[in-house]
Amino acid sequence: MAAGLIALLVIVVLLVLVLLWAMGAYNRLVTLKNRFKNAYAQIDVQLKRRYDLIPNLVETARGYLKHERGTLEEVIAARNAASSANARAAQAPGDAAAMKALSGAEAALTGTLGRLFALAEAYPDLKANTTMLSLMEELTSTENKVAFSRQAYNDSVMVYNTAREVFPTNLVAGAFNFTAAELFVVEKPEEKAAPKVSFS
Amino acid sequence: MDFFERQERARRGTKWLVLYFGLGVASLILVIYAAALLLFGVAADHRPAYETPAGVSWWNVQLFSGVALGTLAVVVIGSLFKASELAQGGSAVALMLGGRLVNPNTTDPDERKLLNVTEEMALASGIPVPQVYVLPAEQGINAFAAGHTPSDAALGVTAGAMRLLNRDELQGVIGHEFSHVLNGDMRLNLRLIGWIFGIMCLAVIGRVLLQVRGSSGGSNRRQGQNPLPLFGLVLLIVGWIGVFFGRLIQAAVSRERERLADASSVQFTRNPLGLASALKKIGGLEAGSRLRTAHAAEASHLFFGNALRSSFLGLWATHPPLEERIRALDPAFDGKYPAVIRPDDAPAPAQPGAARRAMGFGFPGAARGLIESEAALSVPPVIATSSVLAHTGAPTPDHVVYAEQLRDSIPAALRESAREPLGACAVVYALLLSPDQPEVRQKQIEGLRSRASDAALRETLRVEPAVREVAHRAKLPIIDLALPALRHLSPAQFQQFDSAVAFLVECDGEIDLFEYVLQKAVIRHLEPHFTSVRRGVTQYYSLKPLLPDCAVLLSAVARAGQEDPQKILEAFRDGANPLAYAAQAGLELLPPEQCDLSQVDAALGRLSAAVPHIKKKVLSACAATVSADGLIQEIEAEMLRAIADALDCPLPPFLSAPP
Repeated sequence: MAAGLIALLVIVVLLVLVLLWAMGAYNRLVTLKNRFKNAYAQIDVQLKRRYDLIPNLVETARGYLKHERGTLEEVIAARNAASSANARAAQAPGDAAAMKALSGAEAALTGTLGRLFALAEAYPDLKANTTMLSLMEELTSTENKVAFSRQAYNDSVMVYNTAREVFPTNLVAGAFNFTAAELFVVEKPEEKAAPKVSFS
Repeated sequence: MDFFERQERARRGTKWLVLYFGLGVASLILVIYAAALLLFGVAADHRPAYETPAGVSWWNVQLFSGVALGTLAVVVIGSLFKASELAQGGSAVALMLGGRLVNPNTTDPDERKLLNVTEEMALASGIPVPQVYVLPAEQGINAFAAGHTPSDAALGVTAGAMRLLNRDELQGVIGHEFSHVLNGDMRLNLRLIGWIFGIMCLAVIGRVLLQVRGSSGGSNRRQGQNPLPLFGLVLLIVGWIGVFFGRLIQAAVSRERERLADASSVQFTRNPLGLASALKKIGGLEAGSRLRTAHAAEASHLFFGNALRSSFLGLWATHPPLEERIRALDPAFDGKYPAVIRPDDAPAPAQPGAARRAMGFGFPGAARGLIESEAALSVPPVIATSSVLAHTGAPTPDHVVYAEQLRDSIPAALRESAREPLGACAVVYALLLSPDQPEVRQKQIEGLRSRASDAALRETLRVEPAVREVAHRAKLPIIDLALPALRHLSPAQFQQFDSAVAFLVECDGEIDLFEYVLQKAVIRHLEPHFTSVRRGVTQYYSLKPLLPDCAVLLSAVARAGQEDPQKILEAFRDGANPLAYAAQAGLELLPPEQCDLSQVDAALGRLSAAVPHIKKKVLSACAATVSADGLIQEIEAEMLRAIADALDCPLPPFLSAPP
C-alpha cells in the first residue's frame, strides 16, 4: 500500500509539474505575441500620421510645381497604396505576406517622396514657403518616430520568434499553432534616398 | 485614517489572508485524507486483516503524511507558478484577462476620454500614469487595477464600460480603482490570485485525470487496477472544496475593501452621483458587470463589480450587493434601474464631437474657478508646512481639477511628444540638459549623439525650447505623463535610454538634487517593466538602523536649499531633531562629501523598504527641513514630491494656499 501511495503521489506531482509548465509556456507565448502586436500599434499610429501629412504637402507644393503634375500624382498613388498596405498589416501584425507588402509599399512611397524633394530643390519660392517648411519638419520627425517604433517592433518580434523556436517551448508552439512573425524592414537602397532636404 | 495607516492595514490584511489560506489548506488535506482512507481502506479490506480494523480506518500516519505532503506540494507549486507568471506586475494580469493596451496617442474618442480621466487622476494623486488596458471582448461594465506598486500598476476597463459610461461616471469608476492602487490593495490582490490558483489547481488536475479514462478505458486491462480516473474524480470533487475556500477567501478579503474604495472614490471626485450612476447602469444593463473570460474566477476579487454570477446566498459575493452600494452613495435611489442604450442602437448625433462635449466632457463649472488663468499657474505656490502630509495618497477634487489644468498648461506639442516613445525619450533628455552652463550642455549633446541616436538628438533639440518654458511644478507631471509611452520601448532601447540618462546626469559635475531625483523617478518606475528582478523585500521595522540614511538625506536636502552654513545647520536641525528624539539617538549634519548623490541614492533605496509609519516620520522630517523658513517654494515643493515618490508615498501636487 505504501509503495502504491508513493507512486501515486509522484505521478500526481509530476503531472502537476508538466501541466503547469505547458500552461506557462503557452501563456508566455501569448504574452510575447501580444507584446509585438502592441508594438505594431505604435508604428500604425505614426504611419497614419505620415499618410495624413503627405496630401497636405502635395497640396502646398501643387501651387508651385504646376508642370510636375505627374510626380505629384505618383506621390499620392504611392501614399494610397502604402496606406492600404498598412491597413492590412494592422489587421494581422507579423503576418509574412502583409508585412512584405507593407515594406514594398513604404519603400516605393519613400522613393517618390525623395523625387519630389529633389524637384523642389529647383523652386526657391517653394523652399521658402513656411507651410512647406513646417510640413517638412513634421514629416522628418514622424519618419524618425516610425524608425524608432519599427526598431521596438522588430526587437519584440525577434524575442517572440526565438521563444517559439527554442526546445522545449517549440512543442507547445507547434501544438497550438504559433506561427513565426515577420520583421518590418525597409529596403536599403530606398532608405538611403530618404527625404533629406536642406532648405538653408 | 491617513495614507500611512491604510498602508499598514493592507499589510495586516495579508496576515488574515495567511490565516484563511492555512485554514483552507488544512481543510483540504483533511478532506483528501478522508477520501484516501475510504479508497485505500476499502482496498485493504480485501487483504487478510493483520492490523486492528480501528487502526486502519481512522488514523494512518503514513497515509496522512503522504496526503499532506502531496497536497502541500501541489498547492505550493501551483501558487509559485502563478506568482512567477504575475511577477511582471499589472500588465501580466491584464494580458491574462485578454486586455489590449491602449495606445498613449490614440485618436479614438472613447479611448482618449478614458486616458484623459486616468491621466488627471494620476497627476492629481502624484503617481505615474498607469498602463491602461481595454478588455475588448467584454460587453459588461467592469474595471480592475492590478500590480505590485504604483510603478507597475495596470488599469483595465471593459469595452462596455468605456463605451457606455459618460465622463463623470468613468471618473467615479477610475477613482474607485485608484483607491486600490493608493491603499496597497493591489499587492494583496495579486498575491491572492497566486494562492487561489494553488488551491484551485487540484480541481483543474482532477478534470484532466478524469479525461484520461477515455483513452485508457479502451485497453483491455482489468478495471480497478488503474486508479487514475477514480483518483481524478476524487481530486475534482476535493478540488471543488479548494474552489469553495478560494472563493470564500476572495469574498472575505474583498468586500470590505470595495466599500472603502467606493468611499475613497467619492472623496477624490466629490461627486457621488457619478459613481452611483455608473453602478445604476450596471444594474440596468443585461450583461451587468459579468465577465466572459475563463480567468474571471481567479481574478474576480480585482474587479469593480461582481464578475461572476452571484450564487450561494451571497456568501461568495466578492462585492457588496449593488443596491446597497448605490444607496450608500445616493440615498434617494428608488431601486429602479434605468434602461441602458447602447451607442450602436442610438441614432447617431449630427455632430458627434459637439454632442460628446455636451454630454459630459466638461467639468462642473463651479470647480473651474480654482485657478482662473494661465497667469495664476506661473506664480510660485507658497505652501504651509502643516498641509504637506495630510494629502499623501489622498487627492481631493481640487487636486483633480488642478491636475487637469496643469496638464492643459503644458504646451500641446510637448504633451503630444510625451505620448509617443521617441518623443518621450527626447522630453526626458531635454529635461536633463543643463539650462545655464553652455559648455556642459555641449558635452551632453555630444554624448547624446553617440549614446542615443541622431534622430533622438534631433527630437531632443526640437522639444528643448518647449521644455525650458515649462514651470518647475509641471516637470514631475511631464515625466508621469511620459511613462506610458516609455513603456513601449523595447528592452534594447530601454538599455540605451537608461545609459543615456545616466550619462546626462553624471556629465554635469554638480547636478542639483531636483534633477537627480527627477531622473531617479523615471528609471525607478520603468525598471519593473523591463527587468523581472523584484525589489528586495527586506523590511525595516524600526527607525534606529536607518538613522545614518536619514542623516544623509536631510543633509543633502538642507544643503540643496541654502548656502549659508548657519542656515544649513538650522534647516537640518528642524528636520533631524524630531527624528533623533523618536529614535533616542543623535543625528549630525554631514559634510557635503558624505551626502553626495550616490549616497543619497543608497539611502533612498533603504528608506523605501521601511514600514509606512517610519516613512511618515522621514517624510515629515524632510518637509520640516525644506520649510525651515516657514514656507515651501515651488522648486522645494517639487523636490519633496520627488523624494516622496522615491519612498512610494505619492504626494498630490501642492495647491496654492487660499488667499
